[in-house]
Amino acid sequence: MREIYSPSSEHEVADFIKNCNSREIPIEIIGHNSKSIGRLIQCSKSLNLKNLSGIIEYFPEELYIKVRAGTSLALIETELDKKNQELSFEPSDMGFLYNGRSNKGSVGGAVACNLSGSRRFRAGALRDHILGFRGINGKGEIVKSGGTVVKNVTGYDVSKLITGSYGTLVALTEIVLKVQPKNEESQTLLVNNINLNKALNIFSKSMETSVEISGACFYPKKMSKFFKLNDLDTTTSIAAIRLEGPKISVVERVNTLKKLFDEYKKTISVLENYQSRIFWQNTTDLQFFNNSTNVVVKIILPPANTDQFINKFENDELKYVVDWAGNLIWVEIPENDSILLRQLRTEAAKVAGHITIIKAPNHVRIKEEFLTTVDENIKVLSLKIKESFDPKKILNPGKMYSGI
Amino acid sequence: MSTLAMPPVDQLVLNDKEKIVRHLKRFTNPINVISDPEGITPYETDALSAYKQKPMVIVLPENTEEVRSILKYCHENNIKVVPRGSGTGLSGGALPLADCVLLGLSKFNKILEVDFENRCVVTQPGVTNLSLTKAVEHNGFYYAPDPSSQIACSIGGNIAENSGGVHSLKYGTTTNNVLGVEIVLMDGTIMRFGGKKLESEGYDLLGLITGSEGLLGVLTEVTVKILKKPQSVKALLLGFQSIEDSGQCVSDIISGGIIPAGMEIMDKPLIKATDNYAKAGYPKDVEAILIVELDGTESEVNILIKRVEEIAKKNKSSYLRISKNDEERLRFWLGRKAAFPAIGDMSPDYLCMDGTIPRKKLAEVLQEITKLSQKHGLRVANCFHAGDGNLHPLIMFDSNVKSELKRAEKFGADILKYCVKVGGVLTGEHGVGIEKRDLMCEMFNDEDIQQQLNIKQAFDEKSLLNPGKVYPILHRCAEGGKMHIHKGDTKFKDIPRF
Repeated sequence: MREIYSPSSEHEVADFIKNCNSREIPIEIIGHNSKSIGRLIQCSKSLNLKNLSGIIEYFPEELYIKVRAGTSLALIETELDKKNQELSFEPSDMGFLYNGRSNKGSVGGAVACNLSGSRRFRAGALRDHILGFRGINGKGEIVKSGGTVVKNVTGYDVSKLITGSYGTLVALTEIVLKVQPKNEESQTLLVNNINLNKALNIFSKSMETSVEISGACFYPKKMSKFFKLNDLDTTTSIAAIRLEGPKISVVERVNTLKKLFDEYKKTISVLENYQSRIFWQNTTDLQFFNNSTNVVVKIILPPANTDQFINKFENDELKYVVDWAGNLIWVEIPENDSILLRQLRTEAAKVAGHITIIKAPNHVRIKEEFLTTVDENIKVLSLKIKESFDPKKILNPGKMYSGI
Repeated sequence: MSTLAMPPVDQLVLNDKEKIVRHLKRFTNPINVISDPEGITPYETDALSAYKQKPMVIVLPENTEEVRSILKYCHENNIKVVPRGSGTGLSGGALPLADCVLLGLSKFNKILEVDFENRCVVTQPGVTNLSLTKAVEHNGFYYAPDPSSQIACSIGGNIAENSGGVHSLKYGTTTNNVLGVEIVLMDGTIMRFGGKKLESEGYDLLGLITGSEGLLGVLTEVTVKILKKPQSVKALLLGFQSIEDSGQCVSDIISGGIIPAGMEIMDKPLIKATDNYAKAGYPKDVEAILIVELDGTESEVNILIKRVEEIAKKNKSSYLRISKNDEERLRFWLGRKAAFPAIGDMSPDYLCMDGTIPRKKLAEVLQEITKLSQKHGLRVANCFHAGDGNLHPLIMFDSNVKSELKRAEKFGADILKYCVKVGGVLTGEHGVGIEKRDLMCEMFNDEDIQQQLNIKQAFDEKSLLNPGKVYPILHRCAEGGKMHIHKGDTKFKDIPRF
């Protein structure tokens, strides 16, 4: 039986890790247990950070919020909403994918996984919005970096290194995130019955104008059935482009794009503010793979290679959705189809892309690599970095790669 | 010239100088290896010209393979290496060491690929920041970070320093705009972090090396993202009867949900100085000027201009002008951009500081700076990137008057300590280098610094790459030097600084 420790202060976290370090006991770090991303690891002790919770300070006019790592992301978003602000990288709600219902998890978990939503290609990823942190390294020492201001070049940017490190470098205790004003209006231009190649083309063309799009995704036919929106035709494929900002500007930009894509005028429609927001929330939250029992992977690649990549799998009837204006493909594959998983990996690597397994049954998590760093030098460097924080490798050992 | 503790000189290396020079000539065209005194002198300092040191030898490699061979050789023979881009850095990051090989990247000066489809540019690191925009502007694109020295500073140097610019509140700094690099580690290992895609798997090594001031590796190729230029850009020139009102106006603009492309505040001494110098036509009867620049579509900019106008009036602005065209907008900026040379005209010497503070603390910090100015008996003028809280006090002094440089340095250190005290940081965009190295313990304790040194070890186990920079030697806390300008005699006088 695994022993779970739930400290309520940074000091307790430090003492616990120091103690485990001296006895070389591996620890799995847990936030709200909302997702199981990474390799399956076996640790005799768990460090649960859910009691390390609460907003430390929030200054809307300074555009930052400082919170304890176990704070619920939903609570943070509610507080920001009161001041008409938000986290503009649009954190994903992985609860739908994992359990079929909302559970945004803790902010520490979100930082550890660096998960960002549909606005990522415009607004940056979570890693672009972290201003500073405090945490405990594998030796039980408090380490900190960054601050509360956006312009800061004092020392290495360790905050970025920590983001997306899956708890292998520090147990986070405090996080400072940049916040941004909410957009007054959101509208979505839809083009129905369009193929991927043409969809990518309209994303590209939109980005060659000054209209500043902040969402661009593609749903093949059959993938959009889950939407429950009055003004959305889910009987064909959909290309969607989001425009945000002051209302008058959004309307103007929607019209500019309508004119630009006149050749599609018979299949163009617009989702107004309310439905537009739901559309992107559902997309960011991966509701198209709601409660999936299969393997869900995230493929990131140069956008110009996306069409070529998908075409390789023409005969596989791939279940996929393209987001981030072609930079990201979500794919669901049957849980026992390891051949397809490997083919995806090989083909992604050929077009300078890579695959991360976001959800998989435990037997797959044991068998398959979570990440696939092919460059041995990067693996060696990553190991050295791991050891610089956690020499005895007790924090989430093996969560990213075997041995790291 | 100021003196500063640097790592001990390795006499064994210096004794072998001739042999080392001979060996280096095997790795690159021999004309790229410079060891004669005349050839070396131009490289003895960067734009922090208060500090000078001639390197043992300079090498200007032409490709990645040459960089690899040189670094590997230096690693094997325990020779220190200091990398250098254009040498425009303000914190002494490229200051040579007496026993070092200065590795200049000036021959890495070609743009390799403009890729509009993936909206990025692949370039060699010695290419200037502005050249990137020049290479894509025919299609209406640009590279967003715009440090004031952009006509001369290299993109590799920008990544080393994580350079900002006046538009970083809205468009981020270098770290938010770089997609990938090819990097050579001190032992000669060549790696690629990132690429033409938005993210890579594993640790964010790209994020870590951005802003690492040349301590972790040498860049040999860079991929940056490019953006479409906004349709419309307009600016407001606002005057206030108190610094407090101008600061409150900035806070209210941001609380009002507006993220301007740029926001700049100048205090009265600076307004007076720049107006005498650049004749920008600023109002003279105000305590502070605030420039607010907005961009987006035509109608969006017009709405935002109106909103900012209302906020300014609510904050008792006593002067308000909206740019009618691009020419007028650029005139608003003219005085601001002339700030540094204008001060150089008023005072034989000045130090430029670079702290970042929470925006709401502006009035408090400026009051403290006024008090410190009286205490140290030196004049000061202030400009402030109000959008992102980056404050540049310009401390005026005369190095010919005994003890004035020392007093100025003490004044500067006091300002930076106060920035940290109110929740800010030591440096917003100029980097730590040698200039703020000894103030690092104002922000970090021994464990924080040790953790960062441990990261350095993972990249460079012998600590041969740019040693003596950023982190205090023996964790010594004392007053550091500042960007020191004598008789307007900056390095690269023709480069704008703001």
